[in-house]
Amino acid sequence: MPLVSAMAASHAPNILLEPGREWEDFMDLHYSMAPQGTASRPTFEQQKKLRRDAEAAFGVLRKDLEQAQPDVLIVIANDQFVNFFWNNIPTFFVTIGDEVKGQFTRHSFRYRNHKELGKAIIRAGMDKGIDFSYGPKIPVLPIYVNTWVDPAPSPRRCYQVGELIREVAENSAERVAILATGGLSHFPGSPRIGEIDETFDHKLLEVMREGKGKNLVDYSVQDLLQAGDTEFLNWMVVIGAVGDAKASYTAYMPDFVATGWGFVSWRSL
Amino acid sequence: MSCYDLSRLLFDLKMNESLYQRSLKDFEGVMGEYELTAEEKDALRAGDPRKLRQLGVHGMLCLYIKRLQPEFRDNIYWQQK
Repeated sequence: MPLVSAMAASHAPNILLEPGREWEDFMDLHYSMAPQGTASRPTFEQQKKLRRDAEAAFGVLRKDLEQAQPDVLIVIANDQFVNFFWNNIPTFFVTIGDEVKGQFTRHSFRYRNHKELGKAIIRAGMDKGIDFSYGPKIPVLPIYVNTWVDPAPSPRRCYQVGELIREVAENSAERVAILATGGLSHFPGSPRIGEIDETFDHKLLEVMREGKGKNLVDYSVQDLLQAGDTEFLNWMVVIGAVGDAKASYTAYMPDFVATGWGFVSWRSL
Repeated sequence: MSCYDLSRLLFDLKMNESLYQRSLKDFEGVMGEYELTAEEKDALRAGDPRKLRQLGVHGMLCLYIKRLQPEFRDNIYWQQK
């Protein structure tokens, strides 16, 4: 059956942190990469407003997801040296373990993994020339894209992965939803930490509203890197899955610290 | 890649709790378990992630050296698994 829901949302650490001390901790650490070790910081009031705005945006996505009544949610995510190291960097990885789990600060999760759907995606990929890595023991979220070490896959390739996932979903009897995480513009671990390319981010959101995401396949990884948008590769997978559908909801809030927080939902697919 | 062992040590500082605890007591000893150049050891001792980045370490791994510094030991960022 066709995909029933598609969404994308940022996953910046401070989305989950409490305004105040926790935000300061986050900024202290990440700004140690800045040339002078410092950068501009949002006020406590700005932090609280961002928190409220992000919760409202997640509320819209949650409502859309619930209304779609999915049987399974495919999460497209990346790693940053937690699950994978230089000894083996998969370009695309599907988890086929019984469960997925993780922890960040006081937030932890543990979900049953739909490994049958994962295997169907791996097999469909083998037939179509996209060779996923896979394994049971690495507790990453179900489908993972290398967005953080060079060389990363092209936007075009990520779009093709999304098309493949849509095909698998259409051949499934279950109601499949898909969520991309990460982005938008940010420069973690770089001297450019604190910069946010808002112009580039707005352009991406406009393209999604117009249902012209396929036009983005011609971007190079270098284009995305320059804008701090390599995690948009996760989003390119979802854009490949939605095809020409127009985004029905977009929200954008640069956090003044590190990341342009973006939220998108496609209600009509 | 270059600086593989240097990168591995930084990764282990975040993800390997027993190695981290040993590093707090005897970082010179822990450094001796990895194949590091004198320049890499100096950069680790200096504790400046910007210097590690200049040696070719990925920026996210560079930040992990901060975990050894007293003012960063309780940083909320380390609670990620």
